[in-house]
Amino acid sequence: MKKTQTMNNLTLLLLLLLLTCHLSPVLSWKKDEFRNCNQTPFCKRARARNPGSSSLTVQDAAISDGELTAKLVPKRIEQEETSPDQIKPLLLTLSAYQDGILRLRIDELDPPRKRFEVPDVVLPEFEGKKLWLQRLSTETIDGDAAPSSVVFLSDGYEAVLRHDPFEVYVREKRGNRVISVNSNGLFDFEQLREKKGEGEDWEERFRGHTDKRPYGPQSVSFDVSFYGADHVYGIPERASSFALKPTRGPGVEESEPYRLFNLDVFEYIHDSPFGLYGSIPFMISHGTARGTSGFFWLNAAEMQIDVLGDGWDAEAGIALPSSQSRIDTFWMSEAGIVDAFFFVGPGPKDVARQYASVTGTPAMPQLFAVAYHQCRWNYRDEEDVEQVDSKFDEHDIPYDVLWLDIDHTDGKRYFTWDRMLFPHPEEMQRKLAAKGRHMVTIVDPHIKRDDSYFLHREATEKGYYVKDANGNDYDGWCWPGSSSYLDMLRPEVRSWWATKFSTENYVGSTPSLYIWNDMNEPSVFNGPEVTMPRDAVHRGDAEHREVHNAYGYYFHMATADGLVQRGDGKDRPFVLSRAVFAGSQRHGAIWTGDNTAEWDHLRVSVPMILTLGLTGISFSGADVGGFFGNPEPELLVRWYQLGAYYPFFRGHAHHDTKRREPWLFGEKNTQRMREAIHTRYMLLPYFYTLFREANTSGVPVARPLWMEFPSEEATFTNDEALMIGNSLLVQGIYTEHAKHTSVYLPGKESWYDVKTGAAYKGGKTHKLDVNEEGVPAFQRAGTIIPRKDRFRRSSTQMVNDPYTLVIALNSSQAAEGELYVDDGKSFEFQQGSYIHRRFVFADGKLTSLNLAPGQTQFYSECVIERIILQGLSTGQKSALIEPANQKTEIEQGPLLLHSRQGPTVLTIRKPNVRIADDWVIKIF
Amino acid sequence: MKHKMSFIATVLCVLCLLSQSILRSAASSPHNQFLGIAPEDEKYYKSSEVIKCKDGSKKFSRAQLNDDFCDCSDGTDEPGTSACPGGKFYCRNVGHAPLQLFSSRVNDGICDCCDGSDEYDGKVNCPNTCWKAGKVARDKLKKKIATYQEGVAIRKQEVEQAKVSMAKDEAELSKLQSDQKTLKLLVEQLRERKEQIEKAEERERLQKEKEEQEKKEAEEKAKQENSGGEDQEKTKAEEEAKKEKSEDVEDGSAEDKPIESQHDDNVGNLDDSHSYQDTAEKHDDLGTEDGSIDTPEHIGSLVDGVQQEAVKQKKESVATSEPDFDGGSKVPHDEGDDASENTESLSKEELGRLVASRWTGEDTTKESGEVDVTKDSDHEDHEELPKETHDEQSDGYASETDDDNQKYDDEDHEDEADDDFGVEDHSDSGSSYKYESDTDSDLSDVTTPSNPSWLEKIQNTVRNILHVVNIFQTPVNQSEAASVRKEYDESSAKLSKIESRISSLTQKLKHDFGPDKEFYSFYGRCFESKQNKYVYKVCPYKQASQEEGHSTTRLGSWDKFEDSYKVMIFANGDKCWNGPDRSLKVRLRCGLKNEVADVDEPSRCEYVALLSTPAICLEEKLQELQHKLDLMNKEQPHAHDEL
Repeated sequence: MKKTQTMNNLTLLLLLLLLTCHLSPVLSWKKDEFRNCNQTPFCKRARARNPGSSSLTVQDAAISDGELTAKLVPKRIEQEETSPDQIKPLLLTLSAYQDGILRLRIDELDPPRKRFEVPDVVLPEFEGKKLWLQRLSTETIDGDAAPSSVVFLSDGYEAVLRHDPFEVYVREKRGNRVISVNSNGLFDFEQLREKKGEGEDWEERFRGHTDKRPYGPQSVSFDVSFYGADHVYGIPERASSFALKPTRGPGVEESEPYRLFNLDVFEYIHDSPFGLYGSIPFMISHGTARGTSGFFWLNAAEMQIDVLGDGWDAEAGIALPSSQSRIDTFWMSEAGIVDAFFFVGPGPKDVARQYASVTGTPAMPQLFAVAYHQCRWNYRDEEDVEQVDSKFDEHDIPYDVLWLDIDHTDGKRYFTWDRMLFPHPEEMQRKLAAKGRHMVTIVDPHIKRDDSYFLHREATEKGYYVKDANGNDYDGWCWPGSSSYLDMLRPEVRSWWATKFSTENYVGSTPSLYIWNDMNEPSVFNGPEVTMPRDAVHRGDAEHREVHNAYGYYFHMATADGLVQRGDGKDRPFVLSRAVFAGSQRHGAIWTGDNTAEWDHLRVSVPMILTLGLTGISFSGADVGGFFGNPEPELLVRWYQLGAYYPFFRGHAHHDTKRREPWLFGEKNTQRMREAIHTRYMLLPYFYTLFREANTSGVPVARPLWMEFPSEEATFTNDEALMIGNSLLVQGIYTEHAKHTSVYLPGKESWYDVKTGAAYKGGKTHKLDVNEEGVPAFQRAGTIIPRKDRFRRSSTQMVNDPYTLVIALNSSQAAEGELYVDDGKSFEFQQGSYIHRRFVFADGKLTSLNLAPGQTQFYSECVIERIILQGLSTGQKSALIEPANQKTEIEQGPLLLHSRQGPTVLTIRKPNVRIADDWVIKIF
Repeated sequence: MKHKMSFIATVLCVLCLLSQSILRSAASSPHNQFLGIAPEDEKYYKSSEVIKCKDGSKKFSRAQLNDDFCDCSDGTDEPGTSACPGGKFYCRNVGHAPLQLFSSRVNDGICDCCDGSDEYDGKVNCPNTCWKAGKVARDKLKKKIATYQEGVAIRKQEVEQAKVSMAKDEAELSKLQSDQKTLKLLVEQLRERKEQIEKAEERERLQKEKEEQEKKEAEEKAKQENSGGEDQEKTKAEEEAKKEKSEDVEDGSAEDKPIESQHDDNVGNLDDSHSYQDTAEKHDDLGTEDGSIDTPEHIGSLVDGVQQEAVKQKKESVATSEPDFDGGSKVPHDEGDDASENTESLSKEELGRLVASRWTGEDTTKESGEVDVTKDSDHEDHEELPKETHDEQSDGYASETDDDNQKYDDEDHEDEADDDFGVEDHSDSGSSYKYESDTDSDLSDVTTPSNPSWLEKIQNTVRNILHVVNIFQTPVNQSEAASVRKEYDESSAKLSKIESRISSLTQKLKHDFGPDKEFYSFYGRCFESKQNKYVYKVCPYKQASQEEGHSTTRLGSWDKFEDSYKVMIFANGDKCWNGPDRSLKVRLRCGLKNEVADVDEPSRCEYVALLSTPAICLEEKLQELQHKLDLMNKEQPHAHDEL
């Protein structure tokens, strides 16, 4: 009797639970499924250490082969009886590279097993930039017992290797410190060793998973200090504020370090230090006192990074090694070696350039990839594809790429088609291509374990899979069910993989098809923390724990190489990846993963994109509309209005959501979304020029305000607005029914509202009225933005269309801007086949100057049909075009052609000068 | 250095020349200045040298017309170029139908007009295909007109039919209402009389009881024994005895009732189960009071009632069990929501499925079963990840690709919808049937003039009974009382049947049958379409469902017409996991038969279907189509060739 009673209660409880769970899908982030620092032994051990616990000193410092080498030896060997592994010295190498880059490497001198060094991330040409150090000077610092070694770094900087206590830092010549390592004495390097008898248990268990850890503890950790810094940024990927908040120290509540461990996090939440799909161990500091500097640790194992708040070390009572203000950070990695890069800046763009010289600049995308992408999980079949495609035309909304998610395949076997749904994939792609559109299909790294699947058969026969701890092909679970994972660390596996993308091998593909790499963290549904076990084995006995964060990077790389090969090296690849590592920018675009249709997710997309940009990944974006859930039309519209400025602009949705193509929410909303997408197409010449800038300099397309205004403190924590290039400032609207918003416009010059043409003073916060027609966006006075105001079905048809130049004059009646044009597809731009102009307006003259070296081989008939002049103080009426010596009128014309109630502005009508030519237009 | 200088000079010179030539050629303005202007608009442009932008914002000179520079933000000045984003380009398409394009299509390298007039900058060559395309279009249009002609006729008949039927319904309703009034009165009278009889009986009973009591008390006094316990027992026994008696009376009427009513009138058929139930309930009540045994008939009816009740419940549970079932499939997911979820006890495979199910929302337990069975099969995946409607759609697609435009959106795209007409040879296996035919015919029999006297009969009977029965007589005449009861029960049953018929008729007539009542015949009918393993049932004014074997998923209950009777909406269907409640939007198009086709699920759990029906073959539309054909023929110089 009693039993049934309890049973009933239980059922009731269960029912209740079900009910509540169903009502709150938002809270389904499974925090417990992932380890926190306390559950991660190396992190827990490292965090428990006290400042000053490092006892290493430097010995045998010398210059050899142009580098500074030395040994790190524990201080008290002779006095104490210690175990043999602790007396083994470590080998330290310091090398200097052009542009003020210092590289610090620390490894075991003679390890029983080679520790993992991350291959194929540092550019091969970087070694060529190494400075051949000739001499080493010594200097006694702060009354140290032993003198320290000092080497040249660059004109203004020196690198110091302090011997006792061991410390490495970069300083301005004989002056202030910039970045230092081990100033707080937290350095620790767990050397590989034999088990101390059978009693020692190296295994680690987490939620039913066992990590055999055959090589025992091998973590590396140390503190890094940034001097003269107000904030630190970087170390993506997470959904949190742009300026990194302290994770330890007084007043820090939830004390978890920033975690860098690529994970597929279901329904991630915003504002969390928790790591997501990507890891870039690169931190940037910025402050008014010193400017910008950066620190990059090339290491692909799990990393945990603490940002230490003021007073974190109060108990330890360690004296500051310098009077400078600084931000201390603590870096912990489970395995690998120290291979760290110091970037001295001093400006934000300098750091971007310096970092790019190590890991590469972003690849130059094809023009179509910069346009709008339409995606959904899933456009189900050919009819659906045709339907969606024709609706865009019917509603006069341009788009360039239609995407197919996993369900287009035959049972999640990538490179195949579900022939019931897609009986004629080539024809489908050709139909799109006839309108200048492209298609993207998904190819994930998990290979279905099915003997009738050619990829699985081949990979098994060739032994290309990652092995489990017992040496068998690792068998995990993902979309297709039981799956194995290619060992993308091995170059031969990557080359083999690359061949799979040829149109012969990828049956049903055509040259207008490009690729999407999802799940490449890798995501393993039944693995520990939804990923691969750390004791799985890669090439050369590298353990997955050592490779993990770079796995998706290699996969991305191999896929992009495949597309290059497919096009005989003549077609730029487009591959979108979810997993990110340092250097991913060379292989393609990144998106911020499975976000949710909520206002907070819209908001957090900006700091996420800014952070990725700052750490080299220029081509990034968030799913417009939010992947999970159904956005209210207002949120969707706002997302399009902001998303139109994401470097990567794609609408995407989960298969449980309602259809949300832009025409489904009434004519008003269709109009708003159409206009947002039109805005992007209008700005394509500007965006493309910025992508080229990123491609040459590493400076991202979407930038934090302080990258353009480094000395304006008010911009340092602003992550609600972003700069697109140096000319446009965009502020998202992140609340429902917003009537007003505050926008800080930096600098001394004015800003012009891109829709109304209204001018706003710089250097202050403006309270602005907002409406549903758009998000605030401003052109900075002193800039020139190239546009194309004619809208076509896709960017492909815009190639021959004329340009509009929008000139916003500054207080000295001057402005500058650039335009970069190439064929939009091939690699010929690398041989100089492009047009690169600088437009300079000064003294009443607009001049077009050639920035391309020598005579360009690229030919374009494109002309400039309209020049808009904003901020002209005098009433000029005519313009004279030279050298044609032709007069043309200046009249009032619309600022925006597609907006019927838009303002009118001074317009030079039909100058029709070619973008390829040198010319001058005088106004009088 | 010198070399360089002279080189630059040459380059500059060449550039000068080039740019001058460019200045002349850059603008890709059309040769014909009036390109892209609709014939009815030409006057507007030709009337003066200074032309107004249509939105009144500005004026422009004739020279600025089609000069490839946008002066009017509404595009008035650039009908023939792509310069104004808001503009429209008109192509005449002689031989076919004229077309208005977005100006963004002009000189974009894609041939949009069949006469090729939208591409004139020499980058592509668009051959004139109007004659060929026009013929196809005209043939299609003719076919469509033929269907419409026939459809309009059918519709007319149906509208007539509907008017008659509705009038009949209304007549029946008013007849029933007046019958109801009369009958109500009779029932009231009978009830009063019955109550009087019962009161009399009660008095009699009390009298008897009292007498017996007295008798007993006397006996007891004599015995002087253990009074308390026995007392109780006896009273109980007495009560039982009394009850048995009263039951006998009731039994008599109850026994006869079903049989008699079946013989007597048709109303009895109307709701048999109901009357059984009523009886059953009564007996139920009695049964709980004492365990006395009923006559076999009663047991029968009791069991029957219970069974029916059970069946009913079952049915309901079938209907509602879908969401429950869905809920069940959610269990693994939702357990996952619980932070304390214990995944450690799961096998690797179970864990994989569980985590995958977060994204897919699929039932992991069900799936694993399926996978086990089909593990080695080639089509494992299809089984593994059932995507509801995938399979069946691929059939319909090939034949109906032109039809797409109307499927996903709410906007009016009548033209496209109509363009794809070929309804007659539709391959889908659609069918329709009536679901309410029984009740309809039964009740209409009741009310037809053929047996006008049933009410009178009752009236007479009642009058007689009321006359005969003398309620002041003691003891009450049992046979008279029984006949009063019987008559009361019969009449009130009849009344309730009439009332329920009235309410169902009123319900029916409340529905929106369209402006001409053209959808009247949809009432009580279902249209079926079989698509692979699913059978889709669309029952207008009721509900729509998807059946697979024995399981039924409700796609929605009848909601309303939308889009001026071109769309039927069924809403609030079974709950979808992680999605909206299921719903179905049925788009109507003119056809000769009522047929459902092309059921589709463009968005998760939001279904769309096509129903061809003569009900929307409108005369005006036919005329419009004919006019369109006339126009096409008129524009066509060799129209006679076609015939």
